[in-house]
Amino acid sequence: MTFSQLCHFNITTRIVEIHNAPWTIADQPRFSYRGLLIDTSRHYQPLRMIKGVIDGMAFSKLNVLHWHIVDTQSFPLEIPSYPKLWEGAYSPSERYTMSDAKQIVEYAQRRGVHVLAEIDVPGHALSWGIGYPSLWPSSDCQQPLDVSNEFTFKVIDSILSDFSKVFNFKFVHLGGDEVDNSCWLTTPHVRQWLNRHGLNESDAYKYFVLRAQKIAISHGYDVINWEETFNSFGKDLSPRTVVHNWLGGDVAPKVVAAGLRCIVSNQDMWYLDHLDTTWQKFYMNEPFTNITDPKQQALVIGGEVCMWGEHVDASDFEQTIWPRAAAAAERMWTPLNKLAKNPRTVTGRLAHFRCLLNQRGVAAAPLAGPGRVAPLYPASCYSQ
Amino acid sequence: MHFLSLNHCMSIKNITKYMEVCHIYQLLCVISATLCAIVEGRVHGFYGSSNLPKTDLNDSLAYIWPLPKQFTHGNLTVSISPDLVLEVEGKGVIRDAFERYKKLIFKHHAKYSSSEVRENFDYDVHRLKIVVYSDDENLQLGVDESYSLYVTSGQGSSIIQEATIEANTIYGALHGMETFSQLCDFNFVTKRVELSKAPWFIQDEPRFAFRGLLLDTSRHYQPINVIKQVIDSMAYAKLNVLHWHIIDEQSFPLEVPSLPNLWDGSYTKWERYTVEDASEIVEFAKTRGINVMAEIDIPGHAESWGAGYPDLWPSATCREPLDVSKNFTFDVISSILADMRKIFPFELFHLGGDEVNTDCWNSTPHVKQWLQDHNMTAKDAYQYFVLRGQQIAIAQKWTPVNWEETFNTFKENLSPQTVVHNWLGPGVCPQAVAKGFKCIVSNQGVWYLDHLDIPWEDFYTSEPLEGIDDASHQKLVLGGEVCMWGETVDASDVQQTIWPRAAAASERLWSPRDATSTGLDTVLQRLEYFRCLLNQRGIAAAPVANEYARRPPIGPGSCYAQ
Repeated sequence: MTFSQLCHFNITTRIVEIHNAPWTIADQPRFSYRGLLIDTSRHYQPLRMIKGVIDGMAFSKLNVLHWHIVDTQSFPLEIPSYPKLWEGAYSPSERYTMSDAKQIVEYAQRRGVHVLAEIDVPGHALSWGIGYPSLWPSSDCQQPLDVSNEFTFKVIDSILSDFSKVFNFKFVHLGGDEVDNSCWLTTPHVRQWLNRHGLNESDAYKYFVLRAQKIAISHGYDVINWEETFNSFGKDLSPRTVVHNWLGGDVAPKVVAAGLRCIVSNQDMWYLDHLDTTWQKFYMNEPFTNITDPKQQALVIGGEVCMWGEHVDASDFEQTIWPRAAAAAERMWTPLNKLAKNPRTVTGRLAHFRCLLNQRGVAAAPLAGPGRVAPLYPASCYSQ
Repeated sequence: MHFLSLNHCMSIKNITKYMEVCHIYQLLCVISATLCAIVEGRVHGFYGSSNLPKTDLNDSLAYIWPLPKQFTHGNLTVSISPDLVLEVEGKGVIRDAFERYKKLIFKHHAKYSSSEVRENFDYDVHRLKIVVYSDDENLQLGVDESYSLYVTSGQGSSIIQEATIEANTIYGALHGMETFSQLCDFNFVTKRVELSKAPWFIQDEPRFAFRGLLLDTSRHYQPINVIKQVIDSMAYAKLNVLHWHIIDEQSFPLEVPSLPNLWDGSYTKWERYTVEDASEIVEFAKTRGINVMAEIDIPGHAESWGAGYPDLWPSATCREPLDVSKNFTFDVISSILADMRKIFPFELFHLGGDEVNTDCWNSTPHVKQWLQDHNMTAKDAYQYFVLRGQQIAIAQKWTPVNWEETFNTFKENLSPQTVVHNWLGPGVCPQAVAKGFKCIVSNQGVWYLDHLDIPWEDFYTSEPLEGIDDASHQKLVLGGEVCMWGETVDASDVQQTIWPRAAAASERLWSPRDATSTGLDTVLQRLEYFRCLLNQRGIAAAPVANEYARRPPIGPGSCYAQ
């Protein structure tokens, strides 16, 4: 991949050349987990588009595709054990068969990219109930998943079992973010269950997350959860949990101080759907901020930029991801002492990379300005 | 917003003003998008309410875009074997196209584990048979693009089912394959590719022979891979002429071997096309049934020529139009056209001629002198320039196409072969054809893709023969073209800006007039479906229902509802 970026077509001599030879490159990434999240629930992404994004990841040496497959709005993935789940898809054709998923995993693997599947529980799961309404606390109160129903955990178990046949990355993501458990309190049978078990709503949240974790572990997975799980009941999490920070910049230090591994995605700097976050901010977001102890630094396994899908479908997918994700990719790959202290010094290099992406058919947006702007006026690719 | 959706009227003087206004506009857009994100309380996502949108297809519609001229269908479903084979004699172009279409048709994977492989399933259709009556692979304007497509349903008969395409030329066959691919759909429940509403009997041919898309590679360089993708997407919508507006005032990206300094006018040494690149694009387009009409816009819109040869400018400080007083100017034009003749076989060649501001001719001493010596006004010189350019093209056995100002300004003095390219507004083609000129319609009020405020409905309802009732005049309207000017369009947003609105125009240009004039309710659904098809094929077509072009979807939802 690096070799391909050294090669230039000399338009005068018609020969592909490498300048400044001889090169001696000894390269390895700083972090082993360098992720990009895609969200195929808010908008379905066709297979071609997902593959195109994987290609772009390979070009920038990102190596984990965090596939946020399912959420409130739609359930597009086939679950063979529970075939009605994907009735929650937007339409009969906005779906992925298990074979499609397998194909994605293989496509990614051949490019050195792992696929981290996420099944977000217990919140963000309204779409599960389209096919199986008993997963809802009630028909008027449809999130989170019904904690009092054994069926809920049967379904989770089967989902993870089906996952394990296709998603062979050692991690699975169980979500656990933004859980508003009012429906548990207001729905009679759930309330009764809570009373019977002597649980209040946050106990129930913890119970749910931990039980889901155990199920995942029983299928051979290591578990990743969003940070609310740590913030709410950190010391009760399985110690092998990887905590996925997203809310702010002050969580990672706490996670690693507690001895847990961490992935950094603080939303103020690494959320791609925040269009006002410029590439410079993506570049400058340092995962080790306020983490100085090398033993704790070692617990930060890496970081991830997040492409949430509320306003992103096939038409603006690549434009919103690139080039800002590439700026973060360098932050995650390159040694700390080689990273630019002032992002202005890398502008030219990033512009060049952006134009390289364009030449390779990746619709990377201009650098200047916020995310996914159209170029303002006629000019060279290298100056916009 | 008129300012912001600039047509190809971009003199250097206006750039600063344009930048300021555009910058504010873009900033507003970003602010409003960000506010939207904040208002929704969205960080990881808002909580949807109970009813998730479910989208079902209207069963009574034919989801083929553009709508075929004649078709009948039934109500049965046939399955298509994943081992579909092609039966055709020779015809490498057809075989290559078949491989491409197979990938598009069988994009979803059904085979998962051995227990799910339906090896013994008896598919209905195992073979696509294609019969092409002519060996002639010549692609020119007016080539026979007709085809017939039959898909029978079998229904209990023991005959092996096949789908059949018959066409007079390979180009008709290509269109037939495109239609066939749109009839095929992956059924997620049965895990099979199926073709519903069989049997189908389709006899199809386009209404207009010239169905174009203009691509501007001067305002922004477009990488070759992007141009190829645009060509592929044109084929999906049965557009058949790529009007390549290669050069303009901002940059000169094309190699001209006899004048190697010309491409010093490119933005950078990487933002260029070699002659091999250009030939590759022409060949690529041909295998998709698409002609490439190159444009060398003269005498205006040519400032970039002087980067390599400053003599072409009237003066160093007054750089447009090209210097009419020098023979060198016409030598350069001759050389360019001679070099380009080896690359572009299409019989039409575009010479531009639009928006010519002759101030620099009047104000530059030696040019002013030349005008006086030849007893010409600046307007006469404009005519002289255009006509001389036409003669050079005609000598290269090309038919010249010129923007409408040339017709508006000097009418019948134009070579009678001229094809007049309308763009300023409605009402021009009626006048041009009345005087015996051929005409192409691109009225900017309805068919300019860079005008983001033109909705798909306007693209769809704009009728090229509006105001032309005489049958012999109607024949002179070759067709129409949507224009993708490049001021705010580069590799990142070109497909988003072209589609889906170009598709609306493509149906207007292909399908019968009475079929496209019956009202828009069913059209919206069919266009939504086609847009989602484009997305599945990797084309970043924008949401159909947005008020402005190339905007993101307004929120989560099904492709078919946005």
